[in-house]
Amino acid sequence: MPAANSAALLEQLTALLGSEVVRADATALEAYSRDATPLFHGLPEVIVSPRNTQEVAKVVKFAADTKTPIIARGAGSNLCGATVPLAGGIVLSMANMKKIIEISKSEALAVVQPGVTNIELDEAAAKDGLRFIPDPGSRNVSTIGGNVATSAGGLRGLKYGTTKNYVLGLEVVLGTGEILRTGGRLVKDVAGYDVTRLLVGSEGTLGVFTEITVALAPRPKTSKYGVAYFDDLAAAASAVDQIILSGIMPATLEFLDNTCIVAVEEFAKLGLDTKAGALLLFGDDGDEASVIPTVERMSEIAKAASGCRGVTLAADVAAAEQLLYARRCSLPALARLGSLSILEDIAVPRPKMAEVVKRIEEIGQRFNLRIGTFGHAGDGNLHPTIVLDKDNVEEVKKSELALREIFNLAIEFGGTITGEHGVGSAKLPFLEGLIGPGNMELQRSIKKVFDPRGILNPGRLGS
Amino acid sequence: MSKPFTQNKLDRCISCGYCLPACPTYKLTGNEESSPRGRITLMRAVQDGKLPLVDLVPESNFCLGCRACEPVCPAGVEYGVLLEEMRVATWTGKNRPLIVRGLFIAVGTKFMVRLLGLFSPLAKNRKSGSEVHLALGCFERALFPSVSKAVAAIEPNCSISAEQGCCGALHAHNGELEKGKAMAVALGESMPGTILSTAGGCAAHLSSVLGRERVKEFSEWWAAKQVALNPIMKSGKPVRIGFQDSCHLRNGMGVFKEPRAILASLGEYVEVPDASGCCGAAGTYALLQKKNSRKVISQKVRDIAELKLDYLASVNPGCTRQLKTELRRAGVKTKVIHLAELIALSQK
Repeated sequence: MPAANSAALLEQLTALLGSEVVRADATALEAYSRDATPLFHGLPEVIVSPRNTQEVAKVVKFAADTKTPIIARGAGSNLCGATVPLAGGIVLSMANMKKIIEISKSEALAVVQPGVTNIELDEAAAKDGLRFIPDPGSRNVSTIGGNVATSAGGLRGLKYGTTKNYVLGLEVVLGTGEILRTGGRLVKDVAGYDVTRLLVGSEGTLGVFTEITVALAPRPKTSKYGVAYFDDLAAAASAVDQIILSGIMPATLEFLDNTCIVAVEEFAKLGLDTKAGALLLFGDDGDEASVIPTVERMSEIAKAASGCRGVTLAADVAAAEQLLYARRCSLPALARLGSLSILEDIAVPRPKMAEVVKRIEEIGQRFNLRIGTFGHAGDGNLHPTIVLDKDNVEEVKKSELALREIFNLAIEFGGTITGEHGVGSAKLPFLEGLIGPGNMELQRSIKKVFDPRGILNPGRLGS
Repeated sequence: MSKPFTQNKLDRCISCGYCLPACPTYKLTGNEESSPRGRITLMRAVQDGKLPLVDLVPESNFCLGCRACEPVCPAGVEYGVLLEEMRVATWTGKNRPLIVRGLFIAVGTKFMVRLLGLFSPLAKNRKSGSEVHLALGCFERALFPSVSKAVAAIEPNCSISAEQGCCGALHAHNGELEKGKAMAVALGESMPGTILSTAGGCAAHLSSVLGRERVKEFSEWWAAKQVALNPIMKSGKPVRIGFQDSCHLRNGMGVFKEPRAILASLGEYVEVPDASGCCGAAGTYALLQKKNSRKVISQKVRDIAELKLDYLASVNPGCTRQLKTELRRAGVKTKVIHLAELIALSQK
């Protein structure tokens, strides 16, 4: 029984690591029974908060020896149920491994422990005129460990790429308890299979990161942003196409549909045009000589595009920061509209975006569901979000059917079921449909090599 | 048994975790259950009968109640209200801390409140005919009577009555929510018009019960008057002044720019690192959770020591007391003073 097992685990792990880092009181277990994903809950049996690599290795070895599930957790802000302990076992909270070990200005890289938050790293890098590129909406809270485990994206994907483009090296504890180093500090390094890149996005199923080396980029001297309003999302999407076709690859191209605009305005009170069918937030960063004309050119293209209701440029950095913050708050702002909100994360080839958005609207109407869609127009990553009443069983059921249609839609248009959030538990049932049985079997084989006992985050990816 | 929490207030939380970095107790421990999101998860478990009520007691005690989680919550969770409900549920009967019981008695009646101020010379009773009434604050009148005297000196047009009772903030935050609300209503009836408060905690409670428009905290009141002030000089130079936010004033009433603007005209204003972060006073917390309260303030004391300030301004008596005690203990020379007293000083 879990309760008895919990007591036994507590006793054994306390003997192994000391009482400061192990606990199993009912409140702690309950608190770690969920992450930011709605509808997924599962009680762990014990919580371990290691302070160093050696302690991580000891716990993982223990888990392997006793065949106990072990789930590494950063801030628990993921949206795919990747850290919910559905199989019980050990939650390995990395919250106490939060040292920034080194920032090398000359090599433009940082070495950090996994519990450092995205914003802490970026702020530390800023002191040397550098920045950490991946900027997921949750950057204030999400950890680098979690960012790497899900290969987190963000608002800069089009121009700069995502987490997978910035991880240089890892120290990782494999499913056997063995400590391994992969990659290093180099931009160029093709010796051997690229195990580092394989571990990025592995959602805690192949190993536990204990030290992460990431590339930093120069902090841009300036940035400029503007907002364009359109009659509908399709008009905004076609303006985006025209921007890209004109040869511009800007840092930021984000959109919100009307439902999102209204929700964000309600929260952030920025004076957004709540009558518009779509909002396009565009911007670029770099040297003044290139940024200003680029953003002005984008503004002109948007103004000339059909269905455009108006364009305004942010007056200063503070105003621009507010716009970006508002965009990052789309999800929680939407969540104010109902007791349950399910956020999705498909990505499609950008030229297909307008059509996909239209089809999502149709799905919403057909199921009579409120779907707000926002996302990264530059890289085709859409976040349709269904807002509903959690006690309305009928609505919850309908939303599952609608989501299935949205996934199929993405696949039909050559897209993916998750652009940047991860597969976790929420999307594992749809993974094989996307990647095919052959690839799925390969994933399972890979998992067995890294984690022969099947203890690392069971029930995810290749488990 | 009726459910301890208002369901739709629990439902607001989407577990996004944006509150984690803002929470002082999460920063101290890194423990999910000691974060706002974690505590709401526990409240839900109790609400749904998955955990017994008694399991909430440790976190109900550990939470500072600073509400730093509220301004950063994009989903609009009213954590302060949920905490008050948690305290109602957990701090009843035998579970109510003895110190809280004692304090309730100390401010429970007008007579007792008057007694609190008896040993210190207080601003005199004054009827100005103005519709602005100065709330004296039970503990402020006992511990720092110079604050109301300063206000009386620089703001001649407000009425002051020594007969007033307690605003009920103490009750509301310590498990007697309904009584706390009733006390605020009674105080509101005894002071028709605008209530002016020098204590961020009292002001936030009064405004939550009586409405935002009826209550003015002193710094927002003064800032709106736009009176030109002269800097306070020390050996020919403007004094160096820092500031500690009052959590409930900042997180509950949204007032934080005003005191800074006033202080910037009184001397060389220096922003203390994490000035918006709780100082650990947190109402009764400094008395009930001494060790944790000192842990919360420890970094702040080091930061303040480094800044070599002449004055550290406060807008809440709990903060004043906590900062005075801890700075003295660390041998820091900076004088902790209420913002109103600094204004009075500049006019001397």
